Amino acid sequence: MARTLMRFTGVGGQGVLLAGEIFAAAKIKTGGHGLKTATYTSQVRGGATVVDITLDDEEIYYPYANDGEISFMLSVAQVSYNSFKNGVQPGGTIVIEPNLVTATEEDRKTWNIIEIPIITIAKEEVGNVITQSVVALAIANNMTSAIDKDTLREVMLSKVPKKVHELNLKAYELGYKYSEEHK
Amino acid sequence: MATREIISTGNDLSAIAAVDAGCTFFGGYPLTPSSEVMHTISDLLPKVGGTSIQMEDEIAGICCVIGASMSGVRALTATSGPGMSLKAENLGLAQMAEVPLVCVNVMRGGPSTGLPTRVSQGDIKQASNPSHGDYRSITLCAGTLAECYTEVVRAFNLADRFMQPVIVLTDETLGHMHGKAMLPTVEEVKAGIVPRKEFTGDPKDYHPYECGPTEPAVLNPMFKGYRYHFTGLHHDKNGFPTEEIETCRKLIQRLEDKVVVHQNEIELNEEFMCDDLTGEDGEVLIIAYGSVSLAAKEAIRHLRKDGIKAGLFRPITIWPSPAKRIKHFTDKIKNVLCVELNIRQYTEEIERASSRLDLEGLYKVNGRAISPHEIVAKVKEVF
Repeated sequence: MARTLMRFTGVGGQGVLLAGEIFAAAKIKTGGHGLKTATYTSQVRGGATVVDITLDDEEIYYPYANDGEISFMLSVAQVSYNSFKNGVQPGGTIVIEPNLVTATEEDRKTWNIIEIPIITIAKEEVGNVITQSVVALAIANNMTSAIDKDTLREVMLSKVPKKVHELNLKAYELGYKYSEEHK
Repeated sequence: MATREIISTGNDLSAIAAVDAGCTFFGGYPLTPSSEVMHTISDLLPKVGGTSIQMEDEIAGICCVIGASMSGVRALTATSGPGMSLKAENLGLAQMAEVPLVCVNVMRGGPSTGLPTRVSQGDIKQASNPSHGDYRSITLCAGTLAECYTEVVRAFNLADRFMQPVIVLTDETLGHMHGKAMLPTVEEVKAGIVPRKEFTGDPKDYHPYECGPTEPAVLNPMFKGYRYHFTGLHHDKNGFPTEEIETCRKLIQRLEDKVVVHQNEIELNEEFMCDDLTGEDGEVLIIAYGSVSLAAKEAIRHLRKDGIKAGLFRPITIWPSPAKRIKHFTDKIKNVLCVELNIRQYTEEIERASSRLDLEGLYKVNGRAISPHEIVAKVKEVF
């Protein structure tokens, strides 16, 4: 497998960090290498947050995604979308939460912009907004085919408390369901 | 060497390393981007009978660590740049009184409060002499996730061997990056611990600062009947203040010599893809340390694909600097590029060691990492 570079962006407090850790751990579990880095601002909440995920079969040294090489980005905040979209290579896929992020016509010509209401799904269909990171995880994996679906699910469950396994399993399946049509 | 795999962050690994190395006391004040070291060790220490205490500020943090260490335990504090500035005075006290401790500095942008959440290597020079006065700092600089663990372990061993503070520099990138680290087993770490020297004779014959001209003091744990005086003033063999000319001279000379004479016990470098560098025209040597070396390694992969023979020299022990090894490489290889997340802080040391003023440099001070592409572009531009 060539190197997979993904970027999750949001604002501080949304909990996009967890998805990155799950991806890295799942890749390592399958014998490869995975790194997650997070960049955030000194604002406690509301600052643009970006999580870079690098997955490779070979050893990874530099932990950040190089701008222009990212093939997949997911964004749940306008400020972060605006700041980081240019890191995505032309033709790359950007999943946005349409209630929180608006893409320009120009953007739609440059990238494959997909609208999935991640937060609404988490809040209304799963029943807990915190599960948005697992919805996002499933969407990202379905779109990039980075990790085997069952392996990623298993690693995800090992990272969340047992009492919310059911909830997160639901979130995981809904993420797959909503992204399926956009593949 | 037996190894184990841990998936974690640099900050968590630093905390785990301290506990595995036998540290039973942490004192400090949380400061971005080092806070997770404190969070994690405050979870871990009570489980092994240790103590972690959040003090009112960074100054009190290091003060209680000095006290804990004087009672004979391995003690840690962790902070970032602004905290280092606050701890500086007491790092000097620990140097003077010869109290071992480990201080992890997860570097962020400075000066002052700077860029709290962003990466930097701006504390390199500060680490060589955080406080006033003459002494030799021992400063280690982790360049990988695994080294956030192994360098903390090594720091504790060096602190007890040389009876002085040892600084471990990491940075925001390493502290917060999350991935796989191959580590030595706990058993191996425990087996590598050499206990601090202790005087076991008659307490009347105990003179902690009466030691060989290149050896550290022997400070017995407090409360066991071996008494000495503790001071930041120049002091005699029992620790009492003195201005006697020869005693003062010998004391400070010994603080210098105990490190300089034994540098071979302290020095550690990585030479990445340097084996086939022979000194032919067009070869490139990159000198970098800390998280910047990760970008340098990726850059070297790219450069070699493009037919440019490049290698990395990476000091892991930053202070005292590996001057002879730097000179070995800079004598042999003409094209040298220093890459740092500051403005020439270590380059000036490399210039001193190499006696060369024609080294090229790539520096960045805006809180953003240097990318492999920037290094590749710089190499192609200047050589």
